[in-house]
Amino acid sequence: MRRRLYVENWAPHYGSPFEADDEVSPATAEVQLEVESKGKPWQPRAGYDGGVESIAFIDGVRRIDARVTIDDPELGPVPGICISLAYGAVIWDARARRSEIAEARVQRLAIFAQGQSVAVPQAGPTLRYRSESVPTSDPAALTTVMQTRMRQAEGELGRELARRGHLVIADGPIHPLEPASVVGYIKSQRAAYLPPEKVPCVAALGPGERTPLFVFSSGGSFARYSWYTRLEDIEHGHTWSGVARCECTGAFALEDASRLADETTFLLPRFASAAHIEARAPQNLVPVAALERHLRRLLGDQALVYRALCAAVAGTPLR
Amino acid sequence: MSDDTKSPHDSVGRVMGTEHTTTQEFRVALDSDNYLQLDDLVVVRSDIPRLGELHTYGVVTETEAIYEGATFESDTHRIAADGILPAQKVRSAHVAVTRVHPEVWVAPDPGQPVFRAAGVQRERALYVDEMERPLPVGVGRDGQAVFVDLDFFDGRKGGHMSISGISGVATKTSFALFFLRMLTARRDVVGAGATNLRVLVFNVKGEDLLWLDKRNAHFARDKKHADTWKVLGVEPAPFPSVAFWAPPRRQSSDAVVPDTGSRHQDVSAFRWTPRELIDEGLLRFLFTDASDARNQIPFIEERVRHQLSRWAVDVAGRPGAVVLRQPPPGGHPRRTTVKPAPGELVIDDLSTLVEAIEPHIDPEDGEPDRAWTGRVQAGTLSAFLRRLHAAVHRLGHLIKAGESRRIDRQKAQVTVVAIQTLHELAQRFVVGALLDETFRHKEQSGQRLPLSAIVLDELNKYAPREGTSPLKDMLVDIAQRGRSLGVLLVGAQQTASRVSPEVMENASIRVVGRLDAAEAERAEYGWMLPATRARARLLKPGTMVLSQPSIPVPLVLTFPFPPWATRREEVAEDGDAFDEIL
Repeated sequence: MRRRLYVENWAPHYGSPFEADDEVSPATAEVQLEVESKGKPWQPRAGYDGGVESIAFIDGVRRIDARVTIDDPELGPVPGICISLAYGAVIWDARARRSEIAEARVQRLAIFAQGQSVAVPQAGPTLRYRSESVPTSDPAALTTVMQTRMRQAEGELGRELARRGHLVIADGPIHPLEPASVVGYIKSQRAAYLPPEKVPCVAALGPGERTPLFVFSSGGSFARYSWYTRLEDIEHGHTWSGVARCECTGAFALEDASRLADETTFLLPRFASAAHIEARAPQNLVPVAALERHLRRLLGDQALVYRALCAAVAGTPLR
Repeated sequence: MSDDTKSPHDSVGRVMGTEHTTTQEFRVALDSDNYLQLDDLVVVRSDIPRLGELHTYGVVTETEAIYEGATFESDTHRIAADGILPAQKVRSAHVAVTRVHPEVWVAPDPGQPVFRAAGVQRERALYVDEMERPLPVGVGRDGQAVFVDLDFFDGRKGGHMSISGISGVATKTSFALFFLRMLTARRDVVGAGATNLRVLVFNVKGEDLLWLDKRNAHFARDKKHADTWKVLGVEPAPFPSVAFWAPPRRQSSDAVVPDTGSRHQDVSAFRWTPRELIDEGLLRFLFTDASDARNQIPFIEERVRHQLSRWAVDVAGRPGAVVLRQPPPGGHPRRTTVKPAPGELVIDDLSTLVEAIEPHIDPEDGEPDRAWTGRVQAGTLSAFLRRLHAAVHRLGHLIKAGESRRIDRQKAQVTVVAIQTLHELAQRFVVGALLDETFRHKEQSGQRLPLSAIVLDELNKYAPREGTSPLKDMLVDIAQRGRSLGVLLVGAQQTASRVSPEVMENASIRVVGRLDAAEAERAEYGWMLPATRARARLLKPGTMVLSQPSIPVPLVLTFPFPPWATRREEVAEDGDAFDEIL
């Protein structure tokens, strides 16, 4: 009896969708609140136009194309997933007042559990899945890999674009290893980092204003500068609606981090989305939403990809 | 096959693959550095399994542009003003397929490069390669000639032309004359039919057509005009052989003067003698109102017409005049002349004719003469007489004894008959008489050649959709049989929906200028594509939509400014700049 690969006929998205949450938990984060305010009361600070020439907005999308199983005579069924990642950037040219999708890349991966890895037959001209594996048999670990690969790819692209001179707005927290002009942009505020006495400052923010910088580190290993900024006054909104959190590397000197925060604070409201158009308005920025639509298109038609995989795999004996 | 469909560098775009292509139409996603405009001709090459190379030809019917990536209308501002939304401007074009070559009806492949059709490809797109005798009738958007298959005009495969469009922009008549000019000037295309080709044109409004033989001073203002004529292969010149005819003035005593306003020189007056009226049965064209047929007037008219031809005898020394005398058994000997008896009424015009008929129909005492009236009611008889009296008043000046002044269609290639000054009844009489003469002449010869073309504007007056009249019957007859007899009708009307369907349906070639919006929606214009219909409301003078049996989609063309004058003010004096540009 030989090992065989099967595509499960379960819907690929069956099972709990795994949402990335890299937010540092407040319990583990050590927050320093006075790096910029130097002990003075917190007041909203207006951003300013630092003459930024271009902004690169980075985003990525991912999809489980199919759940697969290696039928191993000795190990029994080994679960795996075939996934597609697409990530890219929209670059806004300040002078030309034009946005363009500048980068868009697709990766396809097959991830198997229990340290197993088999080659997935090519399912189409552009449907090549690179195989890798996780040592555990926990199915959730498979999606964690997907998440990690996504973040890595986005991080790499962000640093690359920052090196080319763009101000980079990354989707979600940054991976702050390298001093680069990459601003992590966090849409939703699930974790509360501020003590009660600083919260009124967030409530007092007007559009285009930010809180003073604060620094937090996790486990003492690295530090990030962070600040809250308001994109828009939302009618009938609560005090935190229209607020986003940004962060940049702690490798910057304070004045560089301040400048980056000010420039970003000045620019971001312009990209805020409208509530009647975007469900995650205003935080889900217009260029990012457009990029996301574009990237989803690049993943290809889900039903078509699934069918192609089924056809290619159909009980294939594995070498 | 030329190579221009193989190298993608000069393509204008690609066949769109987001929607189905069909054998009827497809769309083109245009390259960002190129464009297509309405009426452009394109070609696409597809490789069809088991068949090989297939060329799809088409004409652009609509062009579009959109921001791809914009979902909401306000996204336009986000894209164009602030630039915060990435989007791509995409231009595209709709193409109606005119032809596939070889003729295997398969839709073109998506993604294939689309080329402007030029040279051989353009001819294929327009079926020129299949036309035995392509006659240029204007130029397309690309400045190149657009052709009609003459076989579908001159009776070989079809006949007649119908021109519709609102009045005022003078396009219908202008196009008709331009077409005639092509027909008379391109003998190389027309072939045998060009020899002794005769054209009969009625001038029904203004005096636009009385200057066809004069050069147009405005022609030289723009060199483009001459260039266009050059493309069409015709020297821009006035009609070389034209004869002008007009009815005589009413008050002209003995001298017969044509009734025209602006031009008198070289215009001949025409009229008929009572003898001609009787011999040719023209009496029936005095009863052409569509309402006449609803009562029994045609019945009496026919009786009277018959009796007149039996009773009329020529009067010695009075050419064209007759007296009415009871015929002996076997009838009056032909060509006899008599001297009128004292007191006998000599018929020398319409008024005396009516006077001579009246005693038979409505005698002062006694019963009407059944031989002249048949069994009709008294009311009908008086209606008949009322119409006769009205006719005396309205067209009495067209009937007079004397030397024959009937229109001589052989005098020139183009005969222009000016009837604009006449009452409607008289216009119908003249049109009826001349069409009858033309048609009868061809019927007798039984030959298609030489061709005889008739240009008649306001066709709805002569062959209306509702009712019947002798004139309508004849036009229907011409429409149906004229094709084989070489009598070709170029009919024009504001609204095709008001013209007898029998006449319209028999026109193989249909041309439309600007249309009234409501009119454009009518079934009569069903042959136009929806996009063309919408445009027909906006066509400028000089732009027409042409439909012909050999091309499955209508073409939009423009025809050049005429080198002949259409008003006295346009007439070029000698030494004008006209010649310098040629």
